[in-house]
Amino acid sequence: MGPTSRETWAQRLGTFRASPSAFMAGPEGEDLGRHLLSDLRSEKLSEPTKVSLLALSLEYPAQLWPDAPAAEAAATSLLDTLVLLPPRPSALRRPLLLAATTALAAGGALGPTSGASRRLLPLLLGLASGRDLGRSFGPASEQRPLQATAWECLRELESCKPGLLGGCLGLLRGLLGQEGPVQPLSLLLALALRNALVIQARARLGLQGLLVAGDCPTEGGSWNWMLAEEGDAHLQPQAPSWPAAEGGECCLATLELSPEEARELRAAVAQLLDASYLLTPVAQAQLLWLLGWALRGLRGQPPVLFKPQLVRLLGTAQLTLLHAVLALKAAFGEALFTAQDEALLLRRLTLAAQHPALPLPAHLFYLHCLLNFPENWPLGPAGEEAAPLLLGSQLCRGLLPSLLHDPMDLLARLHLLCLLCVEDEEKEKKGQDQSPRRYLEELLAGLRQRAALGGGPRALATLCFQASYLVARCLAGQPAVLTPLTHGLAQLYRARPALAPHFVDLLDRVGPELGEPLKVVLRQEVVSRPGRDEALRWHLQMLARVADGDAQSATLGFLQAAAARCTDWGLQQALLQVCRALLRAGVGGGLADLLQALARQLEDPDGRDHARLYYILLAHLEEPKLGVALGPSLAAPALASSLVAENQGFAAALMVQEAPAPIRLSVGPHRAKGPAPVLQLQVEVLEQVYSLELRFRVERQLYAPLGAVHMPCLCPGRPIRPLLLPLQPRRPAPASLAVRALYTTPSGLTCHAHLPPLLVNFADLFLPFPQPPEGAKLGFFEELWDSCLPKGTESRLWCPLGSHGLEALVSRHLEPFVVVAQPPTSYLIAIRLPPDSRLLLRLEAAQADGVPVALRTDDWAVLPLVGDYLRGLSAAG
Amino acid sequence: MAQRAVWLISHEPGTPLCGTVRFSRRYPTVEKRAKVFNGASYVPVPEDGPFLKALLFELRLLDDDKDFSESRDSCSHINKTSIYALPVGGEELWPVVAFLKNGMIYACVPLVEQTLSPRPPLISISGISQGFELLFGVQGFLYSGQKNDSELNTKLIQLPDLLLQACPFGTLLDANLQNSLDSINFASVTHPQKQPTWKAGTYKGKPQVSISITEKVKSMQYDKQDIADTWQVIGVVTCKCDLEGSMPNVTISLSLPTNGSPLQDILVHPCVTSLDSAVLTSSSIDAADDSAFSGPYKFPLTPPLESFNLCYYTSQVPVPPILGFYQVKEEEVQLKITVNLKLHESVKNSFEFCEAHIPFYNRGPVTHVEYKVSFGQLEVFREKSLLIWIIGQKFPKSMEISLSGTVTFGAKSHEKQPFDQICIGGTAYLKLHFRILDYTLTGCYADQHSVQVFASGKPKISTYRKLISSDYYIWNSKAPAPVTYGSLLL
Repeated sequence: MGPTSRETWAQRLGTFRASPSAFMAGPEGEDLGRHLLSDLRSEKLSEPTKVSLLALSLEYPAQLWPDAPAAEAAATSLLDTLVLLPPRPSALRRPLLLAATTALAAGGALGPTSGASRRLLPLLLGLASGRDLGRSFGPASEQRPLQATAWECLRELESCKPGLLGGCLGLLRGLLGQEGPVQPLSLLLALALRNALVIQARARLGLQGLLVAGDCPTEGGSWNWMLAEEGDAHLQPQAPSWPAAEGGECCLATLELSPEEARELRAAVAQLLDASYLLTPVAQAQLLWLLGWALRGLRGQPPVLFKPQLVRLLGTAQLTLLHAVLALKAAFGEALFTAQDEALLLRRLTLAAQHPALPLPAHLFYLHCLLNFPENWPLGPAGEEAAPLLLGSQLCRGLLPSLLHDPMDLLARLHLLCLLCVEDEEKEKKGQDQSPRRYLEELLAGLRQRAALGGGPRALATLCFQASYLVARCLAGQPAVLTPLTHGLAQLYRARPALAPHFVDLLDRVGPELGEPLKVVLRQEVVSRPGRDEALRWHLQMLARVADGDAQSATLGFLQAAAARCTDWGLQQALLQVCRALLRAGVGGGLADLLQALARQLEDPDGRDHARLYYILLAHLEEPKLGVALGPSLAAPALASSLVAENQGFAAALMVQEAPAPIRLSVGPHRAKGPAPVLQLQVEVLEQVYSLELRFRVERQLYAPLGAVHMPCLCPGRPIRPLLLPLQPRRPAPASLAVRALYTTPSGLTCHAHLPPLLVNFADLFLPFPQPPEGAKLGFFEELWDSCLPKGTESRLWCPLGSHGLEALVSRHLEPFVVVAQPPTSYLIAIRLPPDSRLLLRLEAAQADGVPVALRTDDWAVLPLVGDYLRGLSAAG
Repeated sequence: MAQRAVWLISHEPGTPLCGTVRFSRRYPTVEKRAKVFNGASYVPVPEDGPFLKALLFELRLLDDDKDFSESRDSCSHINKTSIYALPVGGEELWPVVAFLKNGMIYACVPLVEQTLSPRPPLISISGISQGFELLFGVQGFLYSGQKNDSELNTKLIQLPDLLLQACPFGTLLDANLQNSLDSINFASVTHPQKQPTWKAGTYKGKPQVSISITEKVKSMQYDKQDIADTWQVIGVVTCKCDLEGSMPNVTISLSLPTNGSPLQDILVHPCVTSLDSAVLTSSSIDAADDSAFSGPYKFPLTPPLESFNLCYYTSQVPVPPILGFYQVKEEEVQLKITVNLKLHESVKNSFEFCEAHIPFYNRGPVTHVEYKVSFGQLEVFREKSLLIWIIGQKFPKSMEISLSGTVTFGAKSHEKQPFDQICIGGTAYLKLHFRILDYTLTGCYADQHSVQVFASGKPKISTYRKLISSDYYIWNSKAPAPVTYGSLLL
């Protein structure tokens, strides 16, 4: 395939830029990177087209060459293209160097095993240090821009792989004093120095002569990757560049420098600072951040080195320079800035924050810096915006807001004013003036006046509410501010009810200090002024937010009057929203009348249904349940019928939800008394529930249906008496009980849970016969024994005995049923099996390992159960 | 200190998207670092389309603000800096530095070299101020000398190449893009050793230095008992030094006459090599006293090639140059207005022009005007609801002039008549526009002897001065007017 034409490329690049992801997903996406590289060598394409291809590769290498091997191959290809350029001037050399660097660094291919890295690094260093690379590498006129570019490429590689140039520190220092572009060299040296210090500090090593070593890898020699490999493991979020944010001591504190190394370091830093004036302001700022970072916390490196630069820097209006000075302030504090210096810096910052010659974004940033000023001795809690101690109200005068300011400026300044009012309150207690607060009041009034302007842009209203919110948040504890604010807002509502959504939003967000009184005055405002039709919609929206249990009759009166005027669907829905709010708030009697009236009188069927639904809910649900049922709905806003949407909302609240069991049940010890068997249930409570109802179902209907058990409230950890569950067996047989629990959660939802089935054992059904009088016992037994036949059956079996013998076995399991006892060898036992069977046992002539049992029953069906039971006894011990 | 991406977006209200991305540039090596530094809190830079949409919404530049939108209009959604969090793809891209200027939105995303949750304070992120400088630089380049759209387009076409020069990898090398443009052109010249980076080449030719002082005076006058009038002078000194040699040293001094007003709040160009501490500390924040430093203000410097603003200052002169009052009385559909202006005797009575603009907001068109002026002429712009009183080149001997009249308005139609958020009810102002050449209000001047040049050849030195009005308001004294804190305290 031949090379693509210029037009095709232009179109392709245009489509790609519009949406890279869409292009890469398309048919041309896959081969774009390959085509681009091959067309760079095409002789048919012009240089400008090739430059535009390279520009694309500078921005989107990750899309063109998505993995490290592809990036490595691309970088190799770019380097080949560079070497193959004819020795005449070309606009491609610079972008090719940048592109190869970008491909390697962004593609994650940079490293000792990468062939392209091994080619690029010596090439860059050679170009940068002005070494003659032969005529093939471009004409002399290009050497200077290429030299600067090579330095920039090296700096970018060092940024992406800290420590890469650690071995070249000595060389860089040497070059700094000589001919060559001073800015790129200074910045690279500062960066490499900082990175080397950090890496060495981590490894708890000194500088190891790095600053003085003159040699550096050149062509032929191999690159020293040691420091970079060390550093690579650590291109993690380094200690943040703002030292104060980090809190503790910097890691550099561990770096031990010999006196000689410390001297060399100081010399290098001084050399950099002395030449810093030759750098552009933004580069000077970068240098200061880097050096400040490098020296922070380093023992034996007093920051006074920076001092000669400060006066010059403080005089400028450059954002980056003042910001860099603030960074130094934060890094070194009192060691570099005395109290007087701090005051001067604050004054310059205050001045810059309002200087008419500077643009608004700069003002705002300076204002932010003022409220986050790194003080030498901060008083307030860290991380909170506050006016610095030295920034008195005199200093702030020019920084206070006025209606003429841009909204963002106004809010920023208003924040400062609020902070002053906080201090003001403290002063006021001492009887000083209270002007900031008065000014604040007037300002807010002005904002409200503008917001009240009908037809004005929404931004004006938004600004007014933002300001009110800010004041309510900062001055929550000052009723002297909040009271006029509350009344002012009520007036604003009266003037422009269309701002209701803003009021609702404000009420949702402010604390109770403003929220509660505001709610009351707004409700009064609404119910006392029925308003014209256009305002009715807003009144209803407002009322839906502020209506509660208070002032019921006024609210209901308003609604009754409004109902007649709610002629369209939207108004009716708004009206019903208020009813809903009242329902939630637990308003009863009058509301029921209103809802009934609405259910008859509203024109729209949807509205009528809605009103009826609310009425039914009001009539049938208890208050807490109602609150939950009408709680905030997760359902989407109404589509066709609001009732449908609302029902989705109720669904969760009114339907019974399946939930994990809140309790655990187990069968307790057997109680053999009374006319019928009673199951004793132990309850273990896992979570708090209310109105618990346990429902039981007997499998195969062996027993009569069981009644439900109710418990009003269960709390984990609170002891509970066992539950007694009377059984009415239809046949004397063991059974399994399925158990379900229905209950209400503390949040008001009704839930049900399946509990594990309970097993009723055969022995759980045993009941004793009434005790005959003393002396008649044997006769009583014999009478029962005889009565079993002929209807019943008789059987004999061997009951094995455990180590405890017969006596222990009887006393443990059969004690309540013994009629005649001749311990330790003979027992006559009579058991009543409800509903009307009997089981008689003769345990006589026990031997050491067992006892022969003669048994009779009038119900032959129980025989296998008895057999299992008796054999199980010895196993139970 | 690096940027992850830069955008230029033109704001086009009324179009479907309300804007177009005119230029964007991404820096993948920085993005790679962002991924590592930000860790789990990393949010990738979005494509242009989604970015445009999110940014316009956040800056309230979409047309649809008819209905309340919580994510935009909520009272707790407060931005106090030009730095935003943009919701993109369910996550928040932060920090986005962005501002609107002359219909163009400038935006960039600085690299934050740590995790973003919790968000570090803005002051701790070096890339923020670097981002601002980059955007200011682009803005300065686009609008320096630019007159029309085609010139703007030419500059936009140059921008990719310029940024490749000034910000090849996302770390800004020079915010002065013009300088970068020059350095492309000067590329073949070999730099001597101590050539500043901000000076692309050396000047060859006749040595000359030009210094021009421009003062703007702004004022708010109320004519009220409890509110103090305010006024302030803002000066800028612009220089162009055409001198041979790589680093010629120059010292420029500004002087004041004996009764001159001290210069305050002085901000200097970074090429100034040292500053007297009196210059640094002279500030309008302090209450004025006689001991204030009154010059001469010396600025030793090494000038750049291009014209530059040597310094900005403010000053508090004892009286405003023109003192006036403005009274508006509403009488049914008519407004009765009275204006009185008085030029202070100390001010040079020789204007390039002098006009008073009297706008009427939030009303219908002017239908009828009856007036009497003691001096000058009145022009009426009915549809704009505006009167312009052309005072001319000189005040009369009495230094005092007056205007009185009645203005009648037609019915208000919302579309056409100017809306103003300040001029509600009786609140109204008139605004003075004037210019006086070869004059400064402070008296500040630079003469030939005040310039010392340490370079070969004696340069020709030319100096210029002018005073212009800026935001010079006189408020209706019969109605409330917006005040600043300063006017209340006095």
